[in-house]
Order: sequence, then C-alpha cells, then structure tokens
Amino acid sequence: MSSPLENPTDFSARERRALETLVKRLGDDEFVLAERYTEWQVRAPSLESDLALANNAQDELGHARLWYDVLADLDVDERDLVYERDPADFRHSTLVELPFAEGDWADAVLRSYLYDAAEDLRLEALEDSAYPPIADRVGKIRSEEEYHLEHARNWLERLAEGEEGRDRLQDALDRLFPHALTLFESATPPVETAIPTREASGSNEIERNTDETSGDRSDADAAAAVEGDIVDFGLRTATLEELGEEWLSIVVPFLESLDLDVPIDESTIGEGVEYAVTVESLPTQLGRDGTHTDAWFDLYDDLTHTYRELERSDAAKIREDPDR
Amino acid sequence: MDLETVKDRAGPRAFSPADDLPQEYREAATRMIEFHANSEIMGAYLERPFIRQAPSIDRKLAFSAKVQDEIGHGQLLYRAAESLGVKSREQMLADLANGDGKFLNCFHYPMESWVETPMIAFFVDGAAMRRQATLRRTSWEPYAHAMDKVCFEEGFHVKHGEDILQELMTGSRKERQLTQEAFEKWWPRIIQFFGPTDDDSTHHDFAASVGLKQKSNDELRNAFLDQYIPKARNYGLEIPDEPRIRERDDGTYEVEEGDLDWDEFFAIAKNEYEPGRDQIGGRRAAQEAVQWVRETIDETIARGHAPRAAD
Repeated sequence: MSSPLENPTDFSARERRALETLVKRLGDDEFVLAERYTEWQVRAPSLESDLALANNAQDELGHARLWYDVLADLDVDERDLVYERDPADFRHSTLVELPFAEGDWADAVLRSYLYDAAEDLRLEALEDSAYPPIADRVGKIRSEEEYHLEHARNWLERLAEGEEGRDRLQDALDRLFPHALTLFESATPPVETAIPTREASGSNEIERNTDETSGDRSDADAAAAVEGDIVDFGLRTATLEELGEEWLSIVVPFLESLDLDVPIDESTIGEGVEYAVTVESLPTQLGRDGTHTDAWFDLYDDLTHTYRELERSDAAKIREDPDR
Repeated sequence: MDLETVKDRAGPRAFSPADDLPQEYREAATRMIEFHANSEIMGAYLERPFIRQAPSIDRKLAFSAKVQDEIGHGQLLYRAAESLGVKSREQMLADLANGDGKFLNCFHYPMESWVETPMIAFFVDGAAMRRQATLRRTSWEPYAHAMDKVCFEEGFHVKHGEDILQELMTGSRKERQLTQEAFEKWWPRIIQFFGPTDDDSTHHDFAASVGLKQKSNDELRNAFLDQYIPKARNYGLEIPDEPRIRERDDGTYEVEEGDLDWDEFFAIAKNEYEPGRDQIGGRRAAQEAVQWVRETIDETIARGHAPRAAD
C-alpha cells in the first residue's frame, strides 16, 4: 500500500483515476438502483410495503449522493456525474438497471437481496480505505444497508413459502443472477477522468488511444490495471475476486435453503475455491465496462428529461454538504 | 348518544371510539375521512413519475419522501376512518380501485411536466394545509390526531413546492413562460379545490353541525386567496383574467363562479371525468398486478405462520 491518500490536489493521475473509477461504480450502483426502487412507490403490495420500499429508495439515493460528493474534491459535480454524463459512461452493474415487469415483487425483493448482500461485503472492504472520505462514509451507509438486507431476507422467506411465490422467485433468479455477477467485474476507467487540468486528461487519452490492441482489449486491460490500482493504493482492501467468492458462499446456500435452484456452473466449485465467478456465467452487457442493456438508455432519457426540457445547466442543491 | 346530544356536545376532539355515536355521524365522518385518505393516495399516484423526472438528486429525494409521506398519511387516515366502524381499510381501498371511492378534484388531472409540480406541491398543498389546519379541531378525535402529523409534514411539502416555484420563476425565460402556462391551466382547478359556494354544498350543514367540519368552503377559499394571490404575484406569476376575482371592501375576495367549469367539476366529483378515470384505472392495474403477493401472505398467515416483518 502506498502512503495514505490525504490531499486530492496532490494525487497522481493514476491515483485520481483509481479513485474516480471506484467511486463511480459505488455511486452509480446506488443511484440507478434507487431509480428502479422508486418505481414501486404507490405500486407496492400494501401501504406498509410501499413505505418500506420508499425508505430503501431514499437510503440508496442518499448513499449515491454521499459517494458522488467524494468526487466534488476532484471538481466533478452532480451535473457532470448525472445530468451531463454520457449514459455509456456510467459504471453501474446491469443488475440495478433492469426494468421490473409490472407486479413482479419477487424481482424487487430478490434483486434487493442479491445487491445488499454484495453491498455489505464491499462496504466491509472500504472500512479501512486509505482515502479518509471513503472510510468516513462507510459507517452510516452500512447500518442502513444491514436493515435492507434483513428486509429482503424476510420477504424472500415469506414469498418462498407459497408455490406461486417460489415459482416467481425462481424466474427472477434465473434472469437476475448472471447480472448480479457483474457486480464483481472490474470497471473500465471513465473516458474523461477527473483530472482538473486538461493536459493531464489529454495524457490519459493518449495512453488509451496508442494502445496497439483492439478497443475491447485495451478497455479490459485498462479496467484490470485500474482495479489493480484501487487495491494497491488501499482504496479498497479486498479484490473483486475475493468479494465475489465470498458473496457466492453466502447467497448460494441461502437461496438453496429456500428451495431455489441457483444457476451457477457447478464445475467452478473446485479445490480451495468453493465458488468463482466465471466468464461463461456473465451476461452480454456487463455495465461496469460501459456496455448496458437498452433499458438503461431509456431510463437515462427519462431521468434527464426535465433537465433537458428546461435547458438547465445546473442541478439544484437543497441540502447541506455532508462533509460540513 | 342521539343526534341532538352529538350536536350539543360537538366540539374539537369531542368524540372518540369509546363513544356510542349515531350511525348518521359515523357515516358522515367516514365519508369525509375516506375522501381525505383517498386523496392522499391519488395525489401520490399523480406525483410519483416526478421522482424520476426531478432535475437534481436533492429534488428527487425530496419528491420520493413527499410521495412516501402521502402514502403514510393515507395509512393514518384510513385507520382514523376505520375506527368509526363503518368500513374497513380493505373496503375503502377496493372502492378506490373500482372507481367508487371519491377524491379531490385536482388529482383527477394528469400532470405532464415538471413545471406543473409546484401547482400541486405549492398551491394545492397550500390550499389543503388551510383546510387541514382547521381539521385539527374536528370532533372525531382520531381524525384530529392524524391531522397533527399530517399538518407537520405538509408544511415541508409546501416549502419544497415553493422552492421549486422560486427556482423556476428565477430561471430561464423558457422556464418562466412554461410555469406561467402551467399556472393558468391549474389556477381554476385550484380555486375549485374548495368546492362550490356554501349555498350549493350538500354535505356542509350536517358536517358543520356535528363539529366535523370547522370552516365553510367560502371561508377557506377566501383565506387561501388572501394569502396566495400575493404569493403568486411575488414570484412573478400573473393571475389569469378568468375566473374574475373581485376584492371586496373588507379585503375578502369574491370569485365569479360562473367563470368556472362546474360541469367538469361535478363530473369529476362522480369519477366520470375521462383523464381521472385513467388515473383510477392505472392505479387499479398496478394494485391487481401485486394481488398475488397479498394472497401469498394471506395463505402464509392462514397456515398459522405469523407474518415476519409486517412490511
């Protein structure tokens, strides 16, 4: 691990890129998941579940706001992060962007479970982040996520008791599971990195463009390199591979205990490694590399509609800076 | 207790579930509170799409919280209505879904653009606040009690609505123009929010005589206009020429009621206004789509398994 990262203005280009890539994958996941959760407001099975789901949506939005705010120190504001960003430059997992079929409450609670179980592990790996603003945010976020996980587990258990509920959960699991695995994919660094000076930004472009291999290859290499940096710089204290394995070792037995078949390739269960995320089990779009399902682009259009309609150039802040 | 005794004793928070009240009172109170609860739900239904379309994360959070608050108010109010022993929450929600449940006129109109949001969140909620504040002194104690929480939270909604209005009216020329257009569209509906003049109001006399209703339609409308005409002007909105509003010598207002579309208003009151029917139908479809969840939970309970985590 390098020396603790204190002052963002002293960051090297690589450090900035690692920080921005990490924070975008965190913030984007929360932001897009919250967008999807809000679809359940006024549509949940009961007034009580409506209130609970709305709570979770607001928690996730609050977390997105906290993560995005980390980048304010790198001169990246909400306008750049949400309203003016190319939707293909978002780094969330495809799990969070998929639309809900009307009434598919099984999808909502299963998705929440798959996500929150991963979220818990990743927050644990950020608790001792070398970048204090990240470590400082973990406590608040984690306490709320623990409640979400409990809520999702309770619902799964209740739905799995009935035949229709279990069938619907199985359908949702078959559909969602490959997308959940993308949570542990490394993210391609953003095209425009958060380096304040244009020259530094330009040097990154050159680095990318002079790569002799194909675009895909260079993106994958860049993703692997920046993911290596995230861990080497101590921004996160566990690798994605470790997180993925741990997640599988938790969610697979739990889902099986509900009589659900987890669509996982049993051949990957080998010596020493109980479970592993394999390339074959991943969906076509990974999210983390900027490829997304069509549903994301529609969602992005919808959520930026007002901003474009009113020709805005700013996103109004009405709350205080969380660091103050 | 007979009706005459009820009228004699009618005062703020005078009656509770411990009292033996005549059916006429129970039914009138149920009708009034059910209408209020339904309005919370349908208002939330109308505003939900703007959680997504809100042009910043903070606004999105505030809108999500507002919609959640409205559902919470609905929950509280259905409970206050249920305590009268006339109708269960399930019956009221089923009636709302099948088109029998009545709710506020403003929530029958679809909302298409963000510039319309302050028309609800500032003007309609502001109007509702005035009425709700008086209902803290209603004679049915559980209703008055629910109003304490509702009024507290509505205060935040109105502030947020006002903040959106201010942002729009200090924004670009285009924003100001679109907001003025939205205001002109909504202004007559907002005035009709208070219902027809007292002469034409069917339920007022009885509701007032047993202390359920504290102020007449005209009194509430006057108080609203008194406060909100200057506010609207202050933000640069022009009050439309129609309906004509005359200021009397005593500072109160007289609305030329003939300038308002009462055919539409009464069609809405009977749930016969087409766009409103679409909203009722949209909500019903969403509720039917999750019927399987409610059935699954009911079966679990029937098998003797206590429901875990009730939400």
